[in-house]
Amino acid sequence: MSPRPRLDHVRRPELLSAAATVIRQRGLENARVADVAEKAGTSTPSVLYWYATKAELLKEALTSAEERFYEDLALQLERIENPRERIVHIIHSAAGEGDYDAALWMELWARALRDPELAATRAELDGRWRRSIADAVRYGQERGEFGATDPEEFAVVLACLLDGLAVQIALRDMEVTPDRVRELALKLAERELGCELLEGARC
Amino acid sequence: MNAAATERGARERILAAAVERIARDGIDEARIARIAMAAGVSPSLVHYHFETRDALLEQALEYSYELAGDVRLGPEGDAVELGSVKRLAAMIDQFLPYPGILERDWILWVELWLRAVRHTEMRPTAARLYERMRDWFSEAIATGIERGEFNADADRDRIADRILALADGYGVRVLFGDLEVSHARREIWAAVKDDLGLPEQPPPPLDPAHPQD
Repeated sequence: MSPRPRLDHVRRPELLSAAATVIRQRGLENARVADVAEKAGTSTPSVLYWYATKAELLKEALTSAEERFYEDLALQLERIENPRERIVHIIHSAAGEGDYDAALWMELWARALRDPELAATRAELDGRWRRSIADAVRYGQERGEFGATDPEEFAVVLACLLDGLAVQIALRDMEVTPDRVRELALKLAERELGCELLEGARC
Repeated sequence: MNAAATERGARERILAAAVERIARDGIDEARIARIAMAAGVSPSLVHYHFETRDALLEQALEYSYELAGDVRLGPEGDAVELGSVKRLAAMIDQFLPYPGILERDWILWVELWLRAVRHTEMRPTAARLYERMRDWFSEAIATGIERGEFNADADRDRIADRILALADGYGVRVLFGDLEVSHARREIWAAVKDDLGLPEQPPPPLDPAHPQD
């Protein structure tokens, strides 16, 4: 008689976060279901109960890490009343503070070049990233704090700049430190929004 | 042709074939047997030149960027012939995924990011490439300042950083079809024009004929 997998203690979110850790450590190509099971404190059959294939598990792990980032970001932004601080928070969230994870992001983007399903997910997540930025701009404009820049266009420029810089941070480029990233991004945002963003600055 | 030259030829053919396969299949799916077939050599010759699959893939990426670097890091004379404004626009164009060779280079570029994030020993290669590109822009800006074509007080290193980051962020979205390459070019220009004192719109692209392979 084959034992039924023990499912009492292991849940999908735990598996996904275990899978994300394994991908981070070993890379997607070398991540094995057995490693994920071990990390989650369960067995391979239990993992396969939730996810029929390794590909399915890894795919969901990649996207759920990103999704969590956007969910957390949305909650954090809601709690910040000052529009300028919201923009600063967005910049900091992408510049090596918090749990933003460039390694997983890169696995997702590189895979998405060849996988239509992942390409659709990537497009959707990128849309969320840009919407988070555009919403923060609109919020500031409604309160009369930012100039009349187009929120969507601003979102594309800032997202492109932050993503480009995140690559260099992930590659541990010595020239591009998180401080440098914040400085470059703040400067671009200040110019586009017509507003100083740092400590106690008035618009 | 002497034996050493033949051997160098085989090595280069293998690297060139590997670059093609990586661009087409992705680095995880690039197989030695297919690379050997495309290079017209035996798999054992591939193993003779490259001890492991990882070593081959990494050297193929390096090879591609050294080549791209030689093409991109064009002659200094450009500044005199084109003027610094047109030269800067042409340099930005070299970093965007126009269809063809530049698009293939871009796919490899993304594979290089991935490889370097996964394998720390690959990072010096990536860092070196970024350093070369940053110096290239920074020096071109310095030349423009010297020639009185750019604002004298422009912070050339920061502007070079901004151009590189925007080119990566826009380039990858162009690759995915989110944006048009012309849009990317216009926005990168807009992000540096005030600091450098550039005209409102970038000059039209030079003839997009790419250097021959």
